[in-house]
Amino acid sequence: METFWETFKRHGVSRRDFLKFATTVTGMMGLAPSMVPTVVRAMETKPRVPVIWIHGLECTCCSESFIRSATPLASDVVLSMISLEYDDTLSAAAGEPLEEHRKRIIKEYWGNYILAVEGNPPLGEDGMYCIVGGKPFLENLKESAEGAKAVIAWGSCASWGCVQAAKPNPTTAVPVDKVITNKPIIKVPGCPPIAEVMTGVVMYMVLFDRIPPLDSQGRPKMFYGNRIHDTCYRRAFFNAGQFVERFDDDNAKKGWCLYKVGCRGPTTYNQCGSIRWYNGLSYPIQAGHGCIGCAEKDFWDNGPFYERLTNIPVPKQEASADKVGAVAAAAAVGGAVVHGVLSKVRNSGKKEE
Amino acid sequence: MRVESAKKIYIFSPALRLWHWVNFLTIITLFATGLYIGSPFFQGPTGVEATYAYEEGITMGFIRKVHFMAGYILLASFIFRVLISLVSKRDRLVIPTFWRKDYWIGLKEITLKYLLFMRDDEGHEYIRNACARTVYPLVYLAILFMIVTGFGMYGMSNPEGFWASLFGWVVWFLGGEFPTHMWHHWIAWLIIIFAVLHVYFVVREEAIKKNGELSSMFNGYKFFKKEPIDMNDIK
Repeated sequence: METFWETFKRHGVSRRDFLKFATTVTGMMGLAPSMVPTVVRAMETKPRVPVIWIHGLECTCCSESFIRSATPLASDVVLSMISLEYDDTLSAAAGEPLEEHRKRIIKEYWGNYILAVEGNPPLGEDGMYCIVGGKPFLENLKESAEGAKAVIAWGSCASWGCVQAAKPNPTTAVPVDKVITNKPIIKVPGCPPIAEVMTGVVMYMVLFDRIPPLDSQGRPKMFYGNRIHDTCYRRAFFNAGQFVERFDDDNAKKGWCLYKVGCRGPTTYNQCGSIRWYNGLSYPIQAGHGCIGCAEKDFWDNGPFYERLTNIPVPKQEASADKVGAVAAAAAVGGAVVHGVLSKVRNSGKKEE
Repeated sequence: MRVESAKKIYIFSPALRLWHWVNFLTIITLFATGLYIGSPFFQGPTGVEATYAYEEGITMGFIRKVHFMAGYILLASFIFRVLISLVSKRDRLVIPTFWRKDYWIGLKEITLKYLLFMRDDEGHEYIRNACARTVYPLVYLAILFMIVTGFGMYGMSNPEGFWASLFGWVVWFLGGEFPTHMWHHWIAWLIIIFAVLHVYFVVREEAIKKNGELSSMFNGYKFFKKEPIDMNDIK
């Protein structure tokens, strides 16, 4: 396959624009400016990489996010940086021959293609809850992963399980790493992940021919190293103790911190605070709604979204950890007083000799 | 009135007494500031630009700073507690001696006494009663848990830093940062419930036996009418 530079030349892109593009891309990947020459060199020499993109149990929000990437444009990524060979959602109209094409690519580029998985496999009823091309997605996934160089787990579905794996998980949906255990897996959680994060991960893998540095949870460090809280532009309001109490109060209008209305920024690792969404236009907190922690494991079960603390299952009541704790402590005090009186009575008088 | 002879026995070393009161102060501070951080109930200085409001009076930033400082003191005092138990025998009373017979005799007697089936002046006397021997190690574990989860969450502001590499794993072990916050809350309440019961049982002991239980954590001495069965622990 031709290299990026060759592809760019073929499309009439000037050397100057090519260098500008390489510089932007370096920044987007979280690399130091000193890495620009390395990126340029990689773009001049590395051939494009075939990618198979499969969809399991999911809502396609990852694809929706991906096609809105602005730096680089998703169209650039799809058309010139990678060679997207198979995507059943984008080419659904192609029908049967597309499935044949997937098999051909797997055989032809054995050990060299990247498998991108959006959504996850449900294991219940032998995988019958998710059928793609007449076969359970579980089989598709295993078959496609067999010859892959690496697997990208797009979104919270493929990384953690997300909504369909929330309690009680009727279809036994599991994250990709529960099924594919013999391949390097890059988790890119988020519901959906930020578009620039997705393209950044793809570019890193394509340009450097290796997987990006991962944290202990298998997520790329450069994108999931920080909490949203620690990069949030409203952090000053948090430190100053200026909080929104209700969504319709004056403080909300002033743009104060959403901590008390359940914002999950302090417990969520993602780049929303710095890269933001839609070409840096905004992100949930900027729009006035707290973060719901969609990039975190089991975020769906850690509700309610508008409370700081989860409810503890107390019969017929809603009770937070602090309420239950206060009641238990009060009960301990009461019990102590009663026990104390009884002890005094029991020990009164003289010892029977 | 019958005059009873009582033996004065030295139990608590100065280092242990110092640790106890430092621990008391830090835990009270940590609990109060922790509850506030979980649910900040008064508003910061209004009408001040947030960046400067941070510097003004009792703000979230200030309360958090106090919480973190107290956390460092708790960690230091925990390490101190471990060290003194290594050098001095009487500071090892915290170890539950369940392999010894006197532990089980004590456990049975104390349970019967607390259930009011037995008078407190019956049975044996103990340097450290068996219920306390059972519960204290669990409290130490709870404090250690709070230190590990606390510094884990604290350190993840800088995931490549020292605290994150030391305790960061606990956040993922507990299933993510949000569940870690929850555990930090629940165990904090357990420690406070322990503190309530702890104070109650000390006052109860003092009120019924008048043996200097309450003052022993200040001067180190307690009074015994009989030879305690676990006397060897402090000899």
